[in-house]
Amino acid sequence: MLVYLHLAALGLYGLSAALALAPFAGFPVASRRWTLWVAGVGAGIHTVGVAQLSLVGTGPALSVLAWCLVLLQIGSELLLRAAAVALFTAPLAGGLVGLALLLGLAPGAQPSAGRNMWFILHVTLSVLGLALLALAFISAALYLLQFRELKAKRFGQVFQLFPPLERLDRLNHVALVAGFPALTVGVLLAVGYAVRYAGGMHVDPAQLVWGSFTWGVLGWTVWVRVARHWAGRRAAFASIVGFAAVVLVYVALKLAQPGTERFL
Amino acid sequence: MSIAVLGVNHRTAPLEVRERFAHALHEVPGALARVLEAGAAGGVLLSTCNRTEFYLAEPQEAVPEAVWTLLGERLSGRGDRGERSAQPYGYAERDRDAVRHLYRVSAGLDSMVLGESQIQGQVREAWETSRPQAGPVLHRLFQSALLVGARVRTETKLGTGTASVPSAAVAVASKIFGELAGRSALILGAGDMAELAASCLVAEGARVTLVANRTYERARAIAEQLGARALTLDEAWSHFADTDIALCSTAAPHAVVTWERVAPAIAGRGGRPLCILDLAVPRDVEPAVGQLENVFLYDVDDLQAVAGQAAAQRRGEIPAAEHIVNEEVERFWAWYGGLAVVPALKEFRERLDAVRAVEVDRALRRFKHLPPEDREQLDQFSKALLNKFLHEPTVALKAAADRGRGYALLEALKELFGLERGDGP
Repeated sequence: MLVYLHLAALGLYGLSAALALAPFAGFPVASRRWTLWVAGVGAGIHTVGVAQLSLVGTGPALSVLAWCLVLLQIGSELLLRAAAVALFTAPLAGGLVGLALLLGLAPGAQPSAGRNMWFILHVTLSVLGLALLALAFISAALYLLQFRELKAKRFGQVFQLFPPLERLDRLNHVALVAGFPALTVGVLLAVGYAVRYAGGMHVDPAQLVWGSFTWGVLGWTVWVRVARHWAGRRAAFASIVGFAAVVLVYVALKLAQPGTERFL
Repeated sequence: MSIAVLGVNHRTAPLEVRERFAHALHEVPGALARVLEAGAAGGVLLSTCNRTEFYLAEPQEAVPEAVWTLLGERLSGRGDRGERSAQPYGYAERDRDAVRHLYRVSAGLDSMVLGESQIQGQVREAWETSRPQAGPVLHRLFQSALLVGARVRTETKLGTGTASVPSAAVAVASKIFGELAGRSALILGAGDMAELAASCLVAEGARVTLVANRTYERARAIAEQLGARALTLDEAWSHFADTDIALCSTAAPHAVVTWERVAPAIAGRGGRPLCILDLAVPRDVEPAVGQLENVFLYDVDDLQAVAGQAAAQRRGEIPAAEHIVNEEVERFWAWYGGLAVVPALKEFRERLDAVRAVEVDRALRRFKHLPPEDREQLDQFSKALLNKFLHEPTVALKAAADRGRGYALLEALKELFGLERGDGP
């Protein structure tokens, strides 16, 4: 059942990606109602699947990350009419669900942890923080693409379909400002979980390194936006560099310690 | 029974001719009264900068002449009646084609800027101004034309995008700032295009805060209209530090907005974007200014490219819009045919009943010996026979009217039985 739910979600995310990419292949722009409906049904089915997951292991974590990304995609479209976000989130979510299916959705090490509320909240909030960092990266990438087109006076599909610069900058700001507290609480819950259930679950140094690094990067990007008043292109570059660093460190740590039982 | 349109538009007459034909609102009732005197059941005059059209219900043969004479007088001037004829600039459409013409006009299919929405307001204004002289058929026609316009705009993308330079300027600024409400604009120069673009920006919620011109008096005149502050050009450069949008349209023969003049002010913007719309020919803004960080510079050619793209997209929507227009023409014509069927059928029945009554009376005079009950029977028989004869044609005509084909049958009926001509038996 879990696999079928994920397969259905994967199909709908694929369709959502196709709808987002269609205008760039010369097809007409899909109506807003259709794109929202496809992503919404996909997310709905995925929600049922996520509710049945035990959140231990790489596969389940990737599935939750994909679910968060699609919810953020729908939120961006509904609140800021930033439909172009789906250009990144839909294929990314589809890819993550596909990868999760390949890696397996059954809990890996210490399945009992997956039933602990501290742990569930830690995973959910940490993944939400990470998804918001990804959204900040996506909005930054869209900003830079639209900026380049506007500067170069090219009035093609990017000009037509991407949101205005100001709106993308606001989306980047909101994603970072919302992502930092989510990740902070997620990290604090991890610390609390480790203290309260000492010995109940093995905490790998890689988890500590990556968690702290991600929190530091997100904190820095929020600091430059809020305290240093970075905006526009500079803030977009900061988000892209930050997200790229987080992904690269994760890949490096994962390569150093392969296996799918744990997220790290 | 017919509907006609006679007029001139941007396809048939140049601007200098069209502007002579344009009627102010207060002139409409008088002009319509003159045309209706020539014989028509109702009229509406649609007069915009691109067209002057008389829509007429049931026009008599003298009406076209009256329209061309009226327009010809405006072309020649009141003093020299008939010196120049308006007819070579004009066109005339009848019945379905006239209805289709109005629907295409209302949908923006006949506009100079394809799909523009201003025409819909102008059609409404024409209808409201002419309402006392319109009559029920044109009343219904204009109501439906407004619905057709709305339907085309809702169901197709004919009205989307930006098909003119001022609206392209707004579109480009919107791609940078999103909402334009609360954004400040600086106008440099006093060109018509800048004024037009400024009014488009104001309509989107932007505020024109400063107007700068070579001559301070001219700047002040425009600034007062827009509720802005007037400046000389030399005072304007420092304001590039705080404005969001700069509209440039001076008559200078060379670039007045140079890198040296505005770069120091722009450097102090703290990364905020500045949109410069150079609407002047020759250009007002040195291209180097566009290389400055966070400055987005667009000239007339760039904006025309944006407008041209939208126009191309709109052209792709023409078949869908024409389909809606044709559908609605048939719907109106079905109503119009049905409208005429009822009185025509009534007249047809009355005519045949009169024949029946005369013939029964004649027969009864010959059969004086018949008792009153039999005479009554004979009269009833003649009525029943007439009803039987009339049943099929009545049903067929009503059904044809429902299918929108009543008009042709009705014309045949009138021709065959001499209805509306007073050709009695």
